[in-house]
Amino acid sequence: MAKVEIRDLHKSFGDNEVLRGINCNIEAGEVVCIIGPSGSGKSTFLRCINCLEEPTSGTITVDGHVMDANSPDIDSYREDIGMVFQQFNLFPHLSVMDNITIAPTMRKKMDMAQATELGRKLLASVGLEEKADAFPRSLSGGQKQRVAIARALAMQPGLMLFDEPTSALDPEMVGEVLDVMRHLARDGMTMAIVTHEMGFAKSVADRVLFIDEGIIAEEGTPDQIFSNPQNPRTKSFLDKVLEA
Amino acid sequence: MSFFELLQESLPLLLQGLGLTLWLAFISLVIAMILGILASLAGLSKHAPLRALNSAFVAIIRGTPLLVQAYFIYFGITGVLGIRMSAFTAGVIALSLNAGGYLSEIFRGGIQAVDPGQNEAARSLGLSRGQTMRRIILPQAIRICIPSVVNQWCITIKDTSIICVIGLAELVRQGSQIIARTYRPFEVWIMVGVLFFIVIWLLTLLARIVERKVSLG
Ligand SMILES: Nc1ncnc2c1ncn2[C@@H]1O[C@H](COP(=O)(O)OP(=O)(O)O)[C@@H](O)[C@H]1O
Ligand SMILES: [Mg+2]
Repeated sequence: MAKVEIRDLHKSFGDNEVLRGINCNIEAGEVVCIIGPSGSGKSTFLRCINCLEEPTSGTITVDGHVMDANSPDIDSYREDIGMVFQQFNLFPHLSVMDNITIAPTMRKKMDMAQATELGRKLLASVGLEEKADAFPRSLSGGQKQRVAIARALAMQPGLMLFDEPTSALDPEMVGEVLDVMRHLARDGMTMAIVTHEMGFAKSVADRVLFIDEGIIAEEGTPDQIFSNPQNPRTKSFLDKVLEA
Repeated sequence: MSFFELLQESLPLLLQGLGLTLWLAFISLVIAMILGILASLAGLSKHAPLRALNSAFVAIIRGTPLLVQAYFIYFGITGVLGIRMSAFTAGVIALSLNAGGYLSEIFRGGIQAVDPGQNEAARSLGLSRGQTMRRIILPQAIRICIPSVVNQWCITIKDTSIICVIGLAELVRQGSQIIARTYRPFEVWIMVGVLFFIVIWLLTLLARIVERKVSLG
């Protein structure tokens, strides 16, 4: 059984069919990068995996659990799936440390001392130990995103979803966030990453999915996709982003 | 009687009235805040009957004068049900329902103004709907609402004066009784106005400080 199994996933908003039959497995420890034109359904695809969007039809299982927004256990399934957003979505009324400890203390009944200890370790791992007591508004974009990653990791998830984690960042801060993600990948985290950072995808991904108009138009190793794309749409997409 | 003598004679009674006004407003607003939060949650619920209940409540409160609401509760309801109710209780019920209706709209707007990404981030961590509402959405919504909530508090403090019609000896009623004895409406209404003004001014000052303390930058 794969970590994530997606069968014939369809998603419509009104009569706009955004996902048109996606089939895909993600194995434990695999790093999958998802690329494709804007509006092709990449975010929707990722958000269906943890049920932030409810599929119109099709099934998604994570660790064998059927992901269904109406399942009474959906909250506990989500504990095991971290998500990192383009706009960070840190909780502005909580300090950096509280952002990280809120979920483990509320969901895992971890006591405060233990959660704070975990928070310190995670902040150290993203290079922000000294920011524990700061508030999100005082951080740079790159720092915010590293805190957001630490916050997601605090639940010790088995799967991490990233939706364009560096797209809202000034160019000089992209590297620090990608470095953190590279470390995670090296430590064996299962990751699904929507990204426009082709260099990163090339070096970190085990597999690249090219999503176009709501289907996986092509998939393969980074080598296959970037050096030898078969689908003309993949080719023209890569030409456009690589010349930019 | 000089102005100073008038002041000396009136002030104790006016302060007594002010005490009742503040006590009435305080109790009513505590209840109204709780009612307002619950009603706003009903208004945002995914269950249609709860939403309908909230709309009806808000429409009735908005659509009828507080004066009528107070008369209806003190004379109408007690009459039909054959129960006895003190003017103070009736005043608290009328003011809490009235302010609760307006506050529910204020809170609903505040909750809807919180970035949807906050809800998504919290739910993606595994927090339940209720946990997300209590720990993530409401604390931010309340900050957004502070100016409008304080505005409603000011209105409710002044609306206590309407409750004098059911015979509660609050500030305005004390004022008119003094006038009935002294025939000095000009000075006494100024005193009543100044007392209201000071209270509202202090409240606004306090709200500014709180707002600055909890602002999210
Ligand atoms: N909540 C929503 N309601 C209506 N339409 C949506 C919603 N979310 C996304 N869409 C539409 O779905 C399409 C795909 O969006 P998205 O998955 O965000 O694409 P991508 O992430 O690849 O840029 C777009 O046309 C977008 O307008
Ligand atoms: Mg997107």
